[in-house]
Amino acid sequence: MADVVDISRVSFIVMREMRTPIIALIVVYAISILGMVFIPGPVIDGKTQYMSIFHAFYFMTYTATTTGFGEIPIPFSDAQRFWAIACLYVSVITWLYAIGSIIHLMQNPFFIRALAEWRFSRQVRKIPGPFFIICGFGDTGSVLTRGLSDYGKSAVIIDIDEERIKALQLRNYTVSMPGLCADAGVPKHLLEAGIRSRHCKAVVAITNNEESNLKISALARALNKNVGIITMSKVDVFEETLVTLGGEVHIVDPFKTYAKVLAAAMHNPGFYALNNWLVRDRGARLDKYVKPPQGTWIICGYGRMGHEVNRVLTKYNMRTSIIDPDPKNTTKNEYIEHYIVGRTTAKTLSQAGIENSVGIIAATDDDGHNLGILLNARYFNKNLFTIVRQNRHHNAVAFNASNVDMIMQPSLVTARKILFLLIAPLLKKFFGYLLADKPGREAEMKQVIRLLRERIGKRNPHLITIEVDEEQSSALLKRLRSGKTVRLGDLQRDPRDREKRLDMVVFVIKQGDQEYILPKDDFKVKEGDQILFCSTRLAHRLFNATLNNEYNLFYVLEGKYLPRSSLIRWWLAKRGKKGLVPGKFKAEA
Amino acid sequence: MNFEKVVFGFFVVLALTLNFGFFLGELDNPAHHSVFELFAVIIVNFIATVLKFGDRSQIGAVLLATSLVADLQLVAAATYWTVVVHVTETGLTPEVMASIVSFTGGALIANIISAVILVAETLMSRL
Repeated sequence: MADVVDISRVSFIVMREMRTPIIALIVVYAISILGMVFIPGPVIDGKTQYMSIFHAFYFMTYTATTTGFGEIPIPFSDAQRFWAIACLYVSVITWLYAIGSIIHLMQNPFFIRALAEWRFSRQVRKIPGPFFIICGFGDTGSVLTRGLSDYGKSAVIIDIDEERIKALQLRNYTVSMPGLCADAGVPKHLLEAGIRSRHCKAVVAITNNEESNLKISALARALNKNVGIITMSKVDVFEETLVTLGGEVHIVDPFKTYAKVLAAAMHNPGFYALNNWLVRDRGARLDKYVKPPQGTWIICGYGRMGHEVNRVLTKYNMRTSIIDPDPKNTTKNEYIEHYIVGRTTAKTLSQAGIENSVGIIAATDDDGHNLGILLNARYFNKNLFTIVRQNRHHNAVAFNASNVDMIMQPSLVTARKILFLLIAPLLKKFFGYLLADKPGREAEMKQVIRLLRERIGKRNPHLITIEVDEEQSSALLKRLRSGKTVRLGDLQRDPRDREKRLDMVVFVIKQGDQEYILPKDDFKVKEGDQILFCSTRLAHRLFNATLNNEYNLFYVLEGKYLPRSSLIRWWLAKRGKKGLVPGKFKAEA
Repeated sequence: MNFEKVVFGFFVVLALTLNFGFFLGELDNPAHHSVFELFAVIIVNFIATVLKFGDRSQIGAVLLATSLVADLQLVAAATYWTVVVHVTETGLTPEVMASIVSFTGGALIANIISAVILVAETLMSRL
């Protein structure tokens, strides 16, 4: 309903603004035509000729538009010529006035806005499948949008900055990504972005203003009870409010997320490699294990990142020295060996005991300063393990060149975490399982990594979630409904040659409320299952073909070809045979 | 008193009265129907139509619709007139005149509806 009003709003603005110019044109034409009709024309055979209304209208049509075809149908009398001069000037000026008002209207900022909003909501309604609403197109938003585009998922973007929306329109995404320059905290704009559409799956509030993120989240919940809400929050007070919204709400804190990854890397070295490889981090390889060493660490900058990292390090029994310009704030019970007040310089680094430390974390919110800390620290101790925080995306070249062990980029961490929440919600369960503090989990992790290296290796990993339903796996659903059992191992056979296996690893299957981590080949697939797997692009296509094409599915499961002709199918069924054997043109049981 | 309302009412009623004036007379007698009267009806109807632009209410939409119907009927009548006089040059025979006048009769009905709605709306806002 809101969209309908909006479209009529644009056309009504045009009509209302054009009212005076059009009336002026009608009046000028009417007076000119009447004048031409009543003014006596030339005298032919002693009879004064008068113009008919039709001829006068024809004359005005070409005169007012300055075309000028001459004096038609018979040469004018001087009285008619006199009137024609007046008609020409007045009508041309009236036309200029009418065209001028249209141009004036086009330049009106409110009209431009109304037009942009109308176009935007039309684009949103044209999105055929599920989509997400992303509020905020900064570093995080653009990385997230690029990721969604790689997976072929549409997003609708709202940002208050016009420059960013213009930049968005120039990007080459694989799917449509409509953008609107507006305040996402206004309900009207969320409605235009299609929050009430049944295709809208989630609202992602990642503007750089905490309060507007909270406002967007609350509005999203009020406007649509079922939509997923993902937001970035660094303030505890807001988090408490967000949790009470109800429904599906995820709060992403880049520093807490990073602390979790760091903690995982400490006690399970394979995890960091696996995580980085799955997010397609630059230069990430499955066999490149990173293990932060044991010993004393120096943390430069005790802000949000410093706090989280310190918590993780002390949890793993490491000593920490902190250098920060602000005096220690001891409201929380944290264990800190040294706390040095001051800027990070050669002097304070020596005081912190840089020579005997094993690692340094440059965690200030200034990129130049972080790089400086790195150079200073390396001067004292060449074997340091280095973790550095990169605040701005455009500094990436400098950070990549500085040969750091771990780069922590808050916007990237947030974007990747949100991307996984949107495209692979089951991944959280999978990681939770692998990282659980139970015997044998480390061996399972190594097994997963071995499998992934074997099947995918250096190619780009694709994390795919597929549901066994009418839309995503029609052939499989048909077979399951006919009462046959389908085993996961058979489904993963290559539809081109069933003796081979597709390059994919199934991580999780969600059946009902139960999650099965790393299901075995004899797992029985049922209707409504959600399957999360990692594969190459080609394997994903082939797997989709198996799930949706009943001939492929039959071959993969049975090892025989299902005849396409119903006559032959009837003949085979009559003889008690099921299909044609590949490579031979004879039927076999 | 609102000047805009005066202008609006003036053109709506003038469209109706001129239309009626043209319609009056024997149906097929060209002498009873002046071409200038038809011209005036068309111009006044056009102006009335444009005045109804930009009203977003339900009544505004119906008013605009009646005007558009009247315009369509009148333009059809005028085109027919022009064709028989200038293109085919068959002249205003009684059959032609009857059909032109009945076109304007249709427009007259549309203009009556328009005027009735205008009066009804005014009365409603007064009560």
